[in-house]
Amino acid sequence: MKQKTDVMQGTLALMVLKTLDVLGPLHGWGIVRRIEQISGGLLTVNQGTLYPVLLKLEQEGSVASEWGASENNRKARFYRLTRAGRKQLEIETRDWEQKAAIIGRFFDAKAEELQ
Amino acid sequence: MKTLRCFFHRLRSLAKQGQHEERMRAEIEEHLALQTAENLRAGLAPDEARRRAVLQFGGVEAIKESYRDQRGLPFFETLFQDLRHTLRRLRLAPAFTITTILTLALGIGATTSIFTLAHAVLLKSLPVAKPNELYRVGKEARCCFWGLWSQKDEFSLISYDLYTYFRDHTKGFAELAAFSASEDMLGVRRIGFAESAQGYPGEYVSGNYFSMFGIQPYAGRAIAPADDRVGAAPVVMMSYRLWEEKYALDPSVVGGVFNFNDKPFTVVGITPPGFYGDQLRDPPPDFFLPIHTADASDVATPNLYWFDVIGRVRPGGHPGPVETEMRNELKQWLHGHWSEMTPNDRALFPQQTLYLRPGGSGITSMRDQYERWLRILLMASGFVLLIVCATVANLMLVRGIERRRQTSLCIALGAQARRVVRQALTESVLLSLLGGAAGLALAYAGTRLILGIAFPATTGLAAVPITASPSLPVLVFVCAVSLLTGIAFGFGPAWMATRIDPIEALRGAGRATARLGSTSRRALVVIQTALSLALLSASGFLTATLHRLENQDFGFAQERRLVVTANPREAGYGQDQLTQLYRRIHDSLMTVPGVSDVALSIYSPMNSNFWGASIQMPGRAPAGPGDDRDAAGLNRATAGYFHVIGNPIIRGRGITEQDTANSQRVAVINEAFARRFFGNEDPIGRFFGQIPLTDSQYKVVGVARDARFSVNDMDKPVAPFFVLPQAQLDYFRLPGGKEIEAQEGSHFLRDIVIELTPGAGPSLAQTNARIRQTMASVDPNLPVLAIRTLKEQVGGQFIQQRLIARLTSLFGILSLVLSAIGLYGVIAYNVSSRTGEIGARMAIGAAKGDIVALVLRGAVALILIGLVIGLPLALAAGRFLGSQLYGMSPYDPAVISTAVAVLALSALIASFVPAFRASLISPLEALRAE
Repeated sequence: MKQKTDVMQGTLALMVLKTLDVLGPLHGWGIVRRIEQISGGLLTVNQGTLYPVLLKLEQEGSVASEWGASENNRKARFYRLTRAGRKQLEIETRDWEQKAAIIGRFFDAKAEELQ
Repeated sequence: MKTLRCFFHRLRSLAKQGQHEERMRAEIEEHLALQTAENLRAGLAPDEARRRAVLQFGGVEAIKESYRDQRGLPFFETLFQDLRHTLRRLRLAPAFTITTILTLALGIGATTSIFTLAHAVLLKSLPVAKPNELYRVGKEARCCFWGLWSQKDEFSLISYDLYTYFRDHTKGFAELAAFSASEDMLGVRRIGFAESAQGYPGEYVSGNYFSMFGIQPYAGRAIAPADDRVGAAPVVMMSYRLWEEKYALDPSVVGGVFNFNDKPFTVVGITPPGFYGDQLRDPPPDFFLPIHTADASDVATPNLYWFDVIGRVRPGGHPGPVETEMRNELKQWLHGHWSEMTPNDRALFPQQTLYLRPGGSGITSMRDQYERWLRILLMASGFVLLIVCATVANLMLVRGIERRRQTSLCIALGAQARRVVRQALTESVLLSLLGGAAGLALAYAGTRLILGIAFPATTGLAAVPITASPSLPVLVFVCAVSLLTGIAFGFGPAWMATRIDPIEALRGAGRATARLGSTSRRALVVIQTALSLALLSASGFLTATLHRLENQDFGFAQERRLVVTANPREAGYGQDQLTQLYRRIHDSLMTVPGVSDVALSIYSPMNSNFWGASIQMPGRAPAGPGDDRDAAGLNRATAGYFHVIGNPIIRGRGITEQDTANSQRVAVINEAFARRFFGNEDPIGRFFGQIPLTDSQYKVVGVARDARFSVNDMDKPVAPFFVLPQAQLDYFRLPGGKEIEAQEGSHFLRDIVIELTPGAGPSLAQTNARIRQTMASVDPNLPVLAIRTLKEQVGGQFIQQRLIARLTSLFGILSLVLSAIGLYGVIAYNVSSRTGEIGARMAIGAAKGDIVALVLRGAVALILIGLVIGLPLALAAGRFLGSQLYGMSPYDPAVISTAVAVLALSALIASFVPAFRASLISPLEALRAE
């Protein structure tokens, strides 16, 4: 059985933003499904934890939500990215890439290069 | 920015709480439905699919909780929850709630009203511009006239001549103003209107008075230096209070002409509302007049000191150098008058000096007068506050103990200790805030009541300018006190409760930890007892003193005596018309039914007035500087005065009709005078004099029994006193050759004393009306200023003492009740926690009496310790009262033992009730309850 990784604190918000950016408006369950799919089942999300995160993003103005009909024709809350959210995503993406690049360079570094 | 947006979002969510709950529920429901559908598609059975969905979602309640935390403002929500919870719990314990709030309200109310008064009288600045730049000449507030070339200790009263010398020479002051040290009652009448003359207090001020204080007129213009000159048109400023109350803000008053003591003045302006002059006065002045409109010789006499002086220093200036400058000026000025000084004044010259003191509070006559009393009251109310805190602490401790089981249960169920403490704190803070609010209302009412008693209002005149509403510092003080009390006594028990192992507490069920907090509660009761003893004995001292003062032998008759006050000087009479006037007054009043005798004097007994004289004796060296052995009181009276006031002549005769302007100068002395100046010799026929007259000016013709005429020095034996006939003038030749009356103004007799016939005559009101009619028939321009009985006049001298004695007694009784409640609480609680033990004792044969004794033993120990600690406190309180006791010993055993007895008795009653209840416990039930 593959080892599953816990979602790091704070990265869940970034994943949500990216998911909404790529897929457009989605309801909560849809977002969770996409995150699980993309991670290839390596990532477990306690599905419920998504909702406080969504609320926080909404309060910050990164996402907006409205009622709509789901696939099985039930009332569901759909979330979409706002302009502020898109900007936020760009900033966080750049941040993340920078961090990843720095860490990556440390992993790639060979002993002789440091002498 | 983001934070701010979040905050508003959260605030909005807080308001739409219900809606959000609903949204969250719907979203979770939808999520689970979608997941269940997905699981069904994966081939699970319906039940299993739903179960898996819930599992995958995670703990629904935990998610909900964190969602809620994210949504609203958890701090406020918890606060509201705590508040709701607290209110519910307080409603369930009405006795506790009401007792606590009432106790706090009484303590805070008492402290605040005294603090408000103390703040107004002792600390508050005048409502003028930049009061911190003001300095006054003089440390003491003196009254009202002084007429030598030297003053004792310091120059604090200033003459107009000296004022102008200071004003023109002192460089350190930007502006220096003078104003009369005492108010004058002025007969005021508006010209061209049908109104009778009415007396209003007025003050003479220098032309720069208003510019020095930085006071802008409310209407019209202020008095200016040009108005304060010889020959300037007479002008006056009216107070806003009078303008509003009497003239309904009529604009034509400004510019209108008014008669002041029958001289026309133009009202040029209205002072702003809230301005009450240069000091707290009762009543404050309604008119401000330029100094030069006063009696010209009073202004011109260089050594007639009747002004106070306040100046504004130049910005950045320091009072130190200015003081030195002014001291030099004083010496120069005195030196300029060297030829006019008596040898005694010359001897005192090197000691003459002055002091500059901060003048932002104005002339602090009221502070000087009331400071000691206010300190006593502050002390007493401080004691009350301490006792209140102890009581509240006790109540809170009991509540904490009662709640122990519940707290343990909460903790056992996983409540955070922080939350438990917070809830207890919420409760005590809420209680103290409620108590504080109630106390504030009580304080307002109390201050008004005290002001009303201390400064009885006169119809038509302004009230003393002290407002009863607590000022900001007082408000802050009261809030801090009530909050601190709440926090201190709410936190302790709650914190203690969280320290207990919940298992232990729940299992012990009131036995293992029953003694929790009992030591501190006992200590509180002991402190309460000790403090109440101190308060009780202090109030006992003050009440006993008041009783002694009021019931002393005054030496004159108070029954059937009326005092009618009129001022012939203000009515424009001259020295030579007076004898004639007094005769007419006497003869006319004698015709009033019910009047049996009439005589006039400068001042009737105990009317707060006093004339002093320095006695010189033939063949005896005058007393040296600072020696008051030659001081004596002086009065002038018409024939028959001693008989009218009921003061017996024990040797010789009183003042009679034979003592005319041309006969031998005579005097009637009192026993103290005879003892002091004639020793064992017979004084009748001997001579004495007063400075600056000859040493054989007066021949003693009679000795009157010692009587207390003066309100000063009431703790000392009656001082030497002599009475001169009204008709005999004493002329005195100044070194310059000018001849003046030695006691300028002593011939203007203001108090007419009337003796009424014994038995039922006309009613007092009728007599008063007839007296006014008769006086009007003598001279319509001589207004009767007041009519009162001599008894009222004497009683009026003890208003302060009575007020203080009553207030301290009130505080004493309050503390007695509170400490009894405290003791009752402790004993009752002990009994209830020992129910099982008492039951067991009774089961094995203890009698009811044994149980009562058992409980009382504990109580008596507490009371005794409290009394032992309280005794030195009571002695200290007596010492603190010191001079206010008028010669009574501050260790008077009768007072202290009465206080001890009262306190012990009330404490015993308070502990006997629970003891008796304990003896009624049925052993069977007590043991079953175990």
